Amino acid sequence: MGEPSGPGDGLLSAPLVIEYPFNRTTGPVIGAFLTGLRDGIVTGITGEDGRIICPPVEYDPTSGAPLTTMVPVGSEGEIVSWSWVGAVRDGQILDHPHALALVRLDGADTAMLHVVDAPSADAVRTGARVRIRWAEERSGSITDIAAFELIGADA
Amino acid sequence: MGNRVAVIGVGQTQHAAVRGDVSLPGLIREAVYRALDDAQMTMADIDAIVIGKAPDFFEGIMMPEGYLAEALGAVGKPFFRVHTAGSVGGSTAIVAASHIEAGVAERVLTIGWEMQSCSEAMWALSFPIPFQQQLVAGAGGYFAPFIREYIRRSNAPDDIGVLVALKDRLNALKNPYAHLHEPDITYDSVKESFMLWEPIRYSETCPSSDGAIAMVLGSESVAEATAAATGVRPAWVHGMSMRSEPSMASGRDQVSPQAGKDCAADVFAQAGVTDPRAEIDVVEMYVPFSWYEPMWLENLGFAAEGEGWKMTEQGATQLDGDLPVNCSGGVLSTNPIGASGMLRFGEAAMQVRGQCGDHQIDGVRRALGHAYGGAAQYYAMWVVGADKP
Repeated sequence: MGEPSGPGDGLLSAPLVIEYPFNRTTGPVIGAFLTGLRDGIVTGITGEDGRIICPPVEYDPTSGAPLTTMVPVGSEGEIVSWSWVGAVRDGQILDHPHALALVRLDGADTAMLHVVDAPSADAVRTGARVRIRWAEERSGSITDIAAFELIGADA
Repeated sequence: MGNRVAVIGVGQTQHAAVRGDVSLPGLIREAVYRALDDAQMTMADIDAIVIGKAPDFFEGIMMPEGYLAEALGAVGKPFFRVHTAGSVGGSTAIVAASHIEAGVAERVLTIGWEMQSCSEAMWALSFPIPFQQQLVAGAGGYFAPFIREYIRRSNAPDDIGVLVALKDRLNALKNPYAHLHEPDITYDSVKESFMLWEPIRYSETCPSSDGAIAMVLGSESVAEATAAATGVRPAWVHGMSMRSEPSMASGRDQVSPQAGKDCAADVFAQAGVTDPRAEIDVVEMYVPFSWYEPMWLENLGFAAEGEGWKMTEQGATQLDGDLPVNCSGGVLSTNPIGASGMLRFGEAAMQVRGQCGDHQIDGVRRALGHAYGGAAQYYAMWVVGADKP
């Protein structure tokens, strides 16, 4: 068996570029969460087992039952797990090295993935305390949380 | 056939061009709740879930069944996705029913859905594949030449499509769930509507809809117990069949594809139907472009070749005709693509169960649900009836 022939052997190739817009509707729960972010409030939702799920979900992740009891959670929390982004590429949220982290806000039982703006990897640890840094202009998007910052003894 | 299967719950969403009031999972849940309520069940009663939709590209979510699993209560349960383009709603119901036929489940929830407002599905089908003619025609442009060929072969008058569209849109006025409600529609308004893909006019074309349908299927013992509790008769599955053929097969007849003929022959043989026009009381047929009503009447064996348009012209397929077709308003009035086939199957079951309200036909004993998809290459059909097979 020889190697498969490629374009360099005189066979034709052509690009297939697909650019295509999509829309999303948020529904009542995610919609309320995003509206809350715009107003500077983070909300979770009470699961069937009483846990506060944040970001909220419309349906219980175990039973599928509809969830409706939304509750505000804190704007501070702790790092559950993290990874250091030492080499920053175009399009990333921060233009300098930072952490990607799972952050569990006070009052919530689940964590959300976001950015922690920390001076170095040495400053970040599981269990570190963080606080939301809100974006100056908010529109109802997860990026209304510009980043998390280390606070207290962790800062 | 294996174990007996019956439809014991049906629920559908309010269909619309844009269901901006619900999330994608919320849209589907609306149908699921109604089906479970109809069967007087909860999610906990369900043994397995079979879900179908058209290409993932329509919403831009790869393998959305995974994303939907928690919202649909599928955690810890068998959960299976079916994909056969536009016929998928029918195929999905058949795969769901086969779980019960095979004896591996007693109560199966089956779901068909599409949220077309997430994109523009017609053009999603037309992206520019290298080295192929770029038609930018959408589905209607693909089917128009085969409709033209049907008209040539059958010598049908050129307004048969207008009659089909007018009938289906008037029927939709009797179906509160239908997407299009056009109380002012007339023969003239259809005929004067914009020629989109000759010979298909704008008003002879299906809309683009957000919507979902769900059904609860039960085994014989479950169906009997549920009927006793709800007072609504089960719609027993008398036969179900799927067929497909390659879109570009040499010698293929795109006007009356062999796969459709074979699928109909199989489903009628299973149901013991030898004279479909006499023995089937009502049909829910996949008619996204008006002329497909007479074309499928022939393909399915309700009319001889070249004679289908006469049934339409004579009013046989109207609500008061001898073979009412698409009493719900059909695909011409509501088209969430991945749900459209199951809407045909579900509406057939609702007719048998007497649940159709203003578009109910009296005394339905046997109904055909029909779906097709792709380049008229995928077929799914079932016959449901009031009597236990």
